[in-house]
Amino acid sequence: MILTLAAAPAAAVLGEYESSVSLDQQYMRGEDRVTTSQGYKLHQMTSPNGLVVSEYVSPEGKVFAVSWRGPFIPNLQQLLGSYTTQVQQAAQAQTRRRGGPLVVRTSDFVFVNGGHMRSFHGSAYVPSLLPKDVSPEVVR
Amino acid sequence: MTFKKSPIVSMGLLLGVVSGLIVVASCGGGSSSSSTTTPPPPTGNNSVDVEVNLGPTDDYVNGLFTSVQVCAPGSTTNCVTVPDVLVDTGSSGLRLLSGALGGLSLPAVTDSSGNDVQECVQFISLAYIWGPVAQADIHLSGETASSAAIHIISESPQYAVPASCLTLGTGGVDDNSVSALGANGILGVANYAQDCVLPGCNQASNEVPQYYVCPSGNCQFATFSSSGIVTNPVSLFSQDNNGVLISLPTIPAAGQLTASGLLIFGIGTQSNNALGSATIYAVDANSYFTTTYNGTEYSNSFIDSGSNALAVLDHNTLGINDCADAPGFYCPGSTLNFNVTNSGINGTSGAVSFSIENFDNLFDNTGFAALNDVGGDSGTSTSTDYFDFGVPFFFGRNVFVGIAGKGVPNGVSAPYGYWAY
Repeated sequence: MILTLAAAPAAAVLGEYESSVSLDQQYMRGEDRVTTSQGYKLHQMTSPNGLVVSEYVSPEGKVFAVSWRGPFIPNLQQLLGSYTTQVQQAAQAQTRRRGGPLVVRTSDFVFVNGGHMRSFHGSAYVPSLLPKDVSPEVVR
Repeated sequence: MTFKKSPIVSMGLLLGVVSGLIVVASCGGGSSSSSTTTPPPPTGNNSVDVEVNLGPTDDYVNGLFTSVQVCAPGSTTNCVTVPDVLVDTGSSGLRLLSGALGGLSLPAVTDSSGNDVQECVQFISLAYIWGPVAQADIHLSGETASSAAIHIISESPQYAVPASCLTLGTGGVDDNSVSALGANGILGVANYAQDCVLPGCNQASNEVPQYYVCPSGNCQFATFSSSGIVTNPVSLFSQDNNGVLISLPTIPAAGQLTASGLLIFGIGTQSNNALGSATIYAVDANSYFTTTYNGTEYSNSFIDSGSNALAVLDHNTLGINDCADAPGFYCPGSTLNFNVTNSGINGTSGAVSFSIENFDNLFDNTGFAALNDVGGDSGTSTSTDYFDFGVPFFFGRNVFVGIAGKGVPNGVSAPYGYWAY
C-alpha cells in the first residue's frame, strides 16, 4: 500500500475522470489522503466540520464509487454528477416509506443514503466501472 | 386554508439571543382546529397519549402521533395546541409547520447582529424542511420546556433554501407542507440533546449546512448562541428530564386500524417509568449500537419511532422485491422471519425476533395504520446495511430512550445515551 498526502485535494464526480473536477476540493477544504489498494485508488477527504468523502478510482482513472459519512449530508449533486437525476426521481417516488433510507438499484447504478440526524452515511457506485476483481463491498 | 408569515416585528433584546417576533398569521379568515388558545395543563402529570394512526393526510403507515402545546415564552394564554405531531426518537427538537401555529407570535432566535436564525434539516430520504428558529414554552402534560428553541417549518418561506442545503439541487423533496410531511410537525426525543454536533455546529466558520442567517436576503452560515440550537425538549424539563418511555400495545400480525399508547417522561423518576427488568443498551458517539445477524455485525443500527418500517438488510441480499407501488417497502412472496442480537457498548446483548410480511397484502387490503411486520431496505449490500428498529418494533414493548449526559440508572456507563427495553 502506498500512502501520499496531498495539500490540495482534487477528485472527480462519479463516472468521470479523476482529473476532471476540482469542485470537491473547493467544497471540502480538507486534506486529501490518497491510498492505493489492490485494484483501485482511494481519495479520502476529511473536512474541518467532520464530513468524510471517499472517492474510488479505477486503474483507467475513472471514479467508480463515492461514499460519505458525517454530521450532515453532503452536496450529492456534486458527487454524483449525471447520476443525480436517478436519485431525484427515486426520492420523489418514495412517498409511502417514511423516515427510512433512500436506496436506488438499477443495472448500472447503486445508491444508498442512510443513518439519522447528526450521523449520516451513504455511498454510490457504477457496477460497469468496477475494476476487475474489485468487489462493491469495498465501497463503504 | 393557506397561511403566510407576516414581517418580523422588532421588540428589542430578550434573553440574549432574541430580538424579534416571528408572527405566523392566518390569512383568509377562519380558524383551524389547532389554533385554540388554552392555558397549559396543571402540573403533576408526566405522560401524554400517543396513537399510531393514518395522520392528518389519512395515508401515513405506522405514524406515531401526539399533541403538543406551545406558548409564547412566559405566557399562559398566548398558546396553541398542535395535534398530529410525529413522535420521533431518531431526531431531537420540536418542529412545527407554520400553518399549524394559527397566528401564534413567537420571538425569533437571532445572531448577535439581530438576524433571524433559519434552519435546514435534511432527512435520509433526501427530503428537507426549512424555516426560522423561534423560542417557545413547550408544554407536554405537566412538563414544561421553557424558552426552548423550536424550528418553524415554513409553508411560505421568507427566504429560499440555500443551495448548500439542497443536496440534490432543485430536484430534492420539499417537505414544508402537511401533505408532504404527513404530520403537523415532529417532536424529536432522541438520545442526544442538540440537533447538531457541538462544538462548532453553531459557528459559521465550520460551514455546517444546517443553521443560516439571511441578511439582505443572502443566506449564509450562522454564528449564534448554543441556547438557540433546536434541542430535545425533554432535556430542558425541570424534572423527568433524563429520557422518555414509549409504551405501545401488542397488535396482531394482520395489523390494526390504530393503536393507542403512552409517551412517558423521565426514566426511573416516578412510579410509572421504572426501568424494571429492561436491559440497557448504551449507544456509541454516533448514537448507534450493533446488531448481529447470521454471524455478521451491523454496527450502524438504531431504534427509531420516526421510521415507519423495520430497515433490514437490503432486497438484493435477501433476494426479494420492493413493492412496485411502494418503493422502499418489501413485498416478499412469503413471510420472512429474523432472529438477531442487539449489543450495547456497555457490553450488554439480547435477542430480538421479528417477521416481515408483504406490505401490499397488509396495507393495500386493509388500510390499517398499525403494522408490526413491515420492512424495507437499509442499504445496498453487507458493507452498507444496518438495522433500524422502526415503529413495528415498539408494539408490545416498553422502549426507554436515555438522553446523553443526563445520568444512567443503575450506574451503567452510557456517555452517549442509551436504549432500554
